Amino acid sequence: MIRRLCLLLACAWLAACAAPFDPDAQLSVDVPTRAAVADVPLIQQADFFCGPASIAMVMQWAGADVSQADVAALAFNPGAEGTYLADMIGASRRLGQLAVEIDSYDQLLAEVAAGHPVIVFQNLGLGVLPVWHYGVVTSYDIAADEVRLNSGQRDQMVMPFATFTRTWARGDYWGLVVLPPDQLPASVPEAEVLRAAAALERVDQFAAAATLYQTGAARWPDNWLWPFGLGNARYAMGDLRGARSALLQARRLGPDIPEVRANLATVTAALAR
Amino acid sequence: MGIFALSKKSIAVVLSAQLVLATQAVTFAQADMLGTEAAINKYAAFDNRAALQEALNRDEVQAEMIAMGVDPAEAAARLDALTDVEVASILTQMENDSAGADIVGTLFTIFVILLVTDLLCFTRVFNFTRCVR
Repeated sequence: MIRRLCLLLACAWLAACAAPFDPDAQLSVDVPTRAAVADVPLIQQADFFCGPASIAMVMQWAGADVSQADVAALAFNPGAEGTYLADMIGASRRLGQLAVEIDSYDQLLAEVAAGHPVIVFQNLGLGVLPVWHYGVVTSYDIAADEVRLNSGQRDQMVMPFATFTRTWARGDYWGLVVLPPDQLPASVPEAEVLRAAAALERVDQFAAAATLYQTGAARWPDNWLWPFGLGNARYAMGDLRGARSALLQARRLGPDIPEVRANLATVTAALAR
Repeated sequence: MGIFALSKKSIAVVLSAQLVLATQAVTFAQADMLGTEAAINKYAAFDNRAALQEALNRDEVQAEMIAMGVDPAEAAARLDALTDVEVASILTQMENDSAGADIVGTLFTIFVILLVTDLLCFTRVFNFTRCVR
C-alpha cells in the first residue's frame, strides 16, 4: 500500500489540524451542494507515479492520448521518488495544457461544479510521518459528506469532508486545474490565466498559447493583452498575417500602448519584405 | 610618426566598427518582438499588488505580525505606499528566492513577514524598502 503512494518532497509546509467541513464557514462563493465530473478515467498508478498518473487522468478525460509514463518523463524526479509541485505545473504546460494553481475550497468546489476535475496535493499520513500524494477530485456531495477522488487505484477513493480537509490542509490546500487551452477555469483571476498563457509561449507551445489567448479574448474582450499575446504567438509560428490582425485588434483596445505599436511595426515591416 | 598614423587609423577603424555594431544592435533590438510575459508583468501590476495584499491577509502571516507587535492595518497601509515598480521587484525577488520550490509555502510566508517588518523599520532585508520613522 505504502509503495503505491507517493513519497514527495515537502515543498509545501504542514498546516495544523483542520476543522470538519462547514459550508457556511468555509465557503464564500455559492456552489451547488453536490457536483460531479463524469468520465474521468481511473488509472492504476505505477510505483511513486501518483503525480504523472493524475495529470494523465485529467488529460485523458479532456481527450488527449497521454500515458502516465509520458508525463513522468517530463515531471518525475527519480531521486526524490516523487514529483515536485513545480514540475506538475511545468509538465502540464509542456504538454500544451492550461495549468493554474488554486488554494482554497471556494476554488476547488467551483471548479468541480463547473465540470473540471482538480488535481490536489495531500498528505495522507501525519505531519511527523508524511505520506505525500496527488489525487484528482472528481465529485463532492456536501449533504452525503463525501469527496470522491481518482487516486491512483482501481477504485475511486471516497472520503468524508473532514478527512479530506485534514489531508489537503497538510498539503497547504494546493490544487492544480489542468485544462485544454480552449477551456477556461471557473475560479481563477484573469491575470493568472494570462500568465499561464504566456508560460505556454515560454515552453514553445505556441499553438496552445494562441488558442488560449483566443479563448481568453472571448471571455475578457476589453483587455488588449489577449490579442497582443495572440499576435506574438502567431508571429512565433510564422503566421505574419494572423499576427498583424491580432495586433491591430490589440491596438484598437489599447491605442496608447508602446509594446503594441512596436510589435505591430515589426510585423508590418516583416510583411513588406 | 608611422606608428602615430597607424594608431590614429586603427582608432578610426575601431570607432567605425563600433558605430556599425551599435547601429546593428539597435536594429536587431527593434526587429525583436516584445514579449507577452514582460507586458503582462508591466501592465498587470495591480494584480501583483492584490496578490501581496492577499498574502498579508493570510492567517499565519497576521498571527506572526500580531505576535511581533505589528498592527496588520498599518502593515497594509505601508504596502499601499510602495510603487508598482517596487511591488514588481518584490515579486521578482520572491520568485527567485523560491526557485524550484512552491511559492505559496513557508518561504513565501517568511518573505512577506520580512517585507512588512522592513517597512516598519524592524528589519533591513531588502534594498528597495523605505523605512519611515
